[in-house]
Amino acid sequence: MHDVLVAAQQAGELKAGLQSIGAGIAYGAAAIGPGIGIGIVVGNAITAMARQPEMAGQVRTTMFLGIAFTEALALFGFVLFFLAKS
Amino acid sequence: MFAAFTFPPIDELFRWKDIAFNDSGYGINKTSLLVFISSALILLIFIGGSRKMKLIPSGVQNVLELTYDFVDRGITRDVIGNDATRYTPFLGSLFLFILFLNFWEIIPGIQFPPTSRFAIPLFLSLMVYVLYWFLGFKHNGIKYLTGHLFPAGVPKALYLLVTPIELVQILVVRPFSLAVRLLANMMAGHILLTALALLTSYTLTNAPIITIGPFLLNIGVTGFELLVGFLQAYIFTLLTAVYIADSLHPEH
Amino acid sequence: MLASVLAVAVKAAEAAGEVKAKNPIVPESKEILWASIAFFIVFGLLAWKAWPAIKKSLQDREDKIRGDLEHAESVRTQADKELADYQRQLADSRNEGGRIIEEARQSADQVRKDLIARAEADAAEIRARAQEDAKLATERAMADVQSRVSDLSIELAERIVRHNLDKATQIQLIENYINEVGGTRR
Repeated sequence: MHDVLVAAQQAGELKAGLQSIGAGIAYGAAAIGPGIGIGIVVGNAITAMARQPEMAGQVRTTMFLGIAFTEALALFGFVLFFLAKS
Repeated sequence: MFAAFTFPPIDELFRWKDIAFNDSGYGINKTSLLVFISSALILLIFIGGSRKMKLIPSGVQNVLELTYDFVDRGITRDVIGNDATRYTPFLGSLFLFILFLNFWEIIPGIQFPPTSRFAIPLFLSLMVYVLYWFLGFKHNGIKYLTGHLFPAGVPKALYLLVTPIELVQILVVRPFSLAVRLLANMMAGHILLTALALLTSYTLTNAPIITIGPFLLNIGVTGFELLVGFLQAYIFTLLTAVYIADSLHPEH
Repeated sequence: MLASVLAVAVKAAEAAGEVKAKNPIVPESKEILWASIAFFIVFGLLAWKAWPAIKKSLQDREDKIRGDLEHAESVRTQADKELADYQRQLADSRNEGGRIIEEARQSADQVRKDLIARAEADAAEIRARAQEDAKLATERAMADVQSRVSDLSIELAERIVRHNLDKATQIQLIENYINEVGGTRR
């Protein structure tokens, strides 16, 4: 009987551990693409601002919009992390 | 050799017990209390400050005018158009509401952003969702929907691909991403600050030599969260303006 | 045996999952309720009291600055115009003064020339008259002398040849002589 209880406990821990690993991988994977994307967005925005400083205000607004849209994917991963863990 | 470093369950950082109307289904907890306090602060500053506006501004009036100008010129006119000043009250209230809630994250003694509870971003984004659908149908009729689902200049065959994507985009992704962006940023910031604070106190008792590291990092991240709190309020308002502009002139 | 152990394990795992607290992301309806009430109050009151007042204040200032600028612009234009007018008048009066001086100089010249001319004319007239007078006086004196000479000659001749000649012949003689003399003299 003791063996059975240990097995049950281990099964519960195994499930929780696998959930944590899966959630971690999911978030890590979700952060790769947006990381690269935000880098591209900001880099090009800086290039544009350096070329045409008089357009800097408009470029900045558009840059934030681009960051916001790109970042959303990473944040979905972040939320998925919590959903997957429990 | 050291006592184990334990991080509390995430749930403990975000869920608070009711402090009034306990367990009645509409109890008031720390989140709601902070919402009330920040609403009262906004009303106090903005209505109290705007009672006697002078031609030569000073003190609070400068702040009020700066805020109005920021929202009116930087968001409303820039994104929607010069004739859209009537949306400034809504966008301005939205911006202030989120900004004040976000700043609780770094107020010493409170250090909990109510916007990191899904309830508030979800409510705000659903409200924006309803608003831009209403405005879209009011100004453009059914064309608002068909214009999105069947964009002009796309080969007919591609509609098989484009239409479902657009449908999911405007029905689900837009409001969800709007809410999740705010939620996740504030939540991540809160977890990060909590982790650094716990690490500081843990190293202080167990390894005082390296305490300065997490401590300085904590200060730096607090400054960064100030920026994030402002930026997220700005981006939420900016995207709201973008969606409203899209409802008014879907061809752009 | 194995199957029953697995079944117990799965049940235990599920029980462990249920004991765990709810997910922190799941929204709570009571928070939605209070947040929505708070937001609508904030939005309503700000839209009613605060935003219009701030907007009006900004608009008033903009209007005032625009009005001031326009006023300053108009005043400046007027001042420019008046300055130009003044400068034009100044130039005009300077020209006028020059012209008057020139005119005065010309008329003074004219007057001097006139005076000189008149003086010369007067002098010439006086000289001419003096010559005339002199000539008349000479002629009169000449005629006088002639008649005196003839009278004297007659008297002299009478005295000399009183008895030798009758009077008529003598006059004839003397007349001839005088004419002769006068003819050669003239």
